Amino acid sequence: MIEIVPGAKNVEEVLEHDPVFKLIGMRLAHPAVLGAVLFLIVVAIVLLGPASESRFIYTDF
Amino acid sequence: MKLLGALGAAALVFFALLATLDLAIGAWFPSFDRLSENFSAPYLERAVRALAKEPAGSEVVAIGDSVLWGYKLPVTENVTTQLHRSGLAVRNLSFEGGSPANTYAFLRLLLANGVRPRAVLFNVNQKEFNPSDSAYQKIHPSLDALAGNLLTRDERAQLLPTVDRTSIEARLDAWISAHWHFYALRSDIREALFNQVDAAHALDNAIQIVSGAKARFDAEHRPTPARFEGTYDLSPLDEKNVSVIFLRKSAALLARERIPAVALLTPTNHVLLHEFIDTPQYGKNLEFVRRLLLRGGVRVVNLDRTFGGGEFIDNDHLTAAGNRRLAEILEPELAR
Repeated sequence: MIEIVPGAKNVEEVLEHDPVFKLIGMRLAHPAVLGAVLFLIVVAIVLLGPASESRFIYTDF
Repeated sequence: MKLLGALGAAALVFFALLATLDLAIGAWFPSFDRLSENFSAPYLERAVRALAKEPAGSEVVAIGDSVLWGYKLPVTENVTTQLHRSGLAVRNLSFEGGSPANTYAFLRLLLANGVRPRAVLFNVNQKEFNPSDSAYQKIHPSLDALAGNLLTRDERAQLLPTVDRTSIEARLDAWISAHWHFYALRSDIREALFNQVDAAHALDNAIQIVSGAKARFDAEHRPTPARFEGTYDLSPLDEKNVSVIFLRKSAALLARERIPAVALLTPTNHVLLHEFIDTPQYGKNLEFVRRLLLRGGVRVVNLDRTFGGGEFIDNDHLTAAGNRRLAEILEPELAR
């Protein structure tokens, strides 16, 4: 739930004061988290990618 | 400047995690009971190096095709696992699509790495003497990557290329594999995780099982004789046949290195294949191969007609019960 901040003029100001948004915003902006997320994405691509390696070229199994 | 610093820090974390993952894989990556369906050259290299560390003469090494690998069976039910249970130290390095040329290349690789097995077990499958067999004149690409340069020019001239290693894509792949172990072992990791060659196949398989489509497909595609028309070439075997050439080379190599060898003439489903193979020439070809091996000093176990139709999955792959019986037959031969 976004907290209604008394006296705030626009959405940004409301969000800036929201504790959840501040937490997420701060963590996402942190370079270490960005590096870790990139790492997970690359690892997931390699793991979940299609098998296109040797077996299919070599045998008719 | 602040942005560049942040990106640099993110890159640092990214590469540090990749390096950590590679170190973890180097230290803890498991050794499987048999090669994966789509095994990589780096995994094979690890397996061979691990074998080289074993004391000389401590293990029997099986280098065969899908029959010894355990086609369509979990690894717990294949013949080498059954042999293991009976107390025999056997390392299964067989793979789907093996052939005499592959057996020879594998032997060269093992010997080049200082592996000295107690004995070598390999199977000789009549269908692999057929020039139209997919493995007749080809070395498995992952094996070729390691053993290709151990073959002489004349030996290589007998073989056909399998993969193009000169394209930009292949070079990029080789470069990444050389620097990133996790990527190099991806096909083995995928199979360990999904029990299929990749996630898409695993998902497809799960859906097919749940929906009943797999059971219907299997029922509609039971092996019939027609499916194996052309699988066996009954032309008389001679010295020009590539499989004969490499079989002879394997026997000579094993004799030269004084490594005991047991060759299994592959069990064949004569009930299913009766109209194609139950001819005098099939018997003559089998005898040709048997004599060639015996002259080379290889012990031959002829199991061509030993198994009944009910013990086969198809033309030559045995059921779990068939594999158990095969292990019972082989155990005294290998324990000598």
